[in-house]
Amino acid sequence: MMIQHRVYISTDKAIVDGKALELTEKGSALLTQIYRSHIGDYPKFFKMDTLCKLGFVASELLLNSEGERNFEPREDRAVILFNRNASLQADTNYQSTIQDSENFFPSPAAFVYTLPNIVTGEIAIRNKYYGETSFIVIEENDEKLMEQNLSVAFQDTDTQSIIGGWLDCTDEEHFEANIFIMEK
Amino acid sequence: MDELIYKLKQEIIEALNLEDMTPEDIDENASLFGEGLGLDSIDALELIVLMEKNYGIKLQDPNQGKEIFKSVKVMAEFIQKNRTK
Repeated sequence: MMIQHRVYISTDKAIVDGKALELTEKGSALLTQIYRSHIGDYPKFFKMDTLCKLGFVASELLLNSEGERNFEPREDRAVILFNRNASLQADTNYQSTIQDSENFFPSPAAFVYTLPNIVTGEIAIRNKYYGETSFIVIEENDEKLMEQNLSVAFQDTDTQSIIGGWLDCTDEEHFEANIFIMEK
Repeated sequence: MDELIYKLKQEIIEALNLEDMTPEDIDENASLFGEGLGLDSIDALELIVLMEKNYGIKLQDPNQGKEIFKSVKVMAEFIQKNRTK
């Protein structure tokens, strides 16, 4: 297994294959800045929770680093991500819409993000990937454990490459992505 | 009615996170779904919540949405007729 490209994003920086992007914003505004300066053709971005925004912009930077995009359907690429806090921010956001019995208006738009694997689906839909998608919640950012899981995924004969890695978010100001494209 | 239409446009932009859009960008007669604003089924559910939260209108039959959400103007007319707050 070999890592081809890597993207790292935290609340105040984004690094693509070791090279830092020129950015001025922080927190969720940083993700919007990346979207506007490097992506910009996917208005659904603005409806996403922070975990999805993070995964979306990180995967876009990653895939742009791979070369020209063709968006052709493919079954040989999996999307397998890991984190510690599942969809905590979306869960909290949704809970706030149902917390007060006097002001009880459950938000469907908030509810749809109350699962961490929504982000793997968003990436797969955007890129027409029909391979495996998984989101695995683990205790900590454990490279060895992640690698073990990814190696199991490669036992599927269809899977030739994986967008994998760490994608964690607790709120709009605290998040980290460290994702990569791994070839078999 | 014009005031309600304008307010409704503002509420729709906020509730549906229609970034970079202003009330002036929304044609009050244009379809909210499909070719018009391009909203989806989750947006439709959010509009149902918006009507209940802001105007006290509870849709008994979600299929009513098809008619009510034809355009901002149709939605405003329905709200004016049925609002309880």
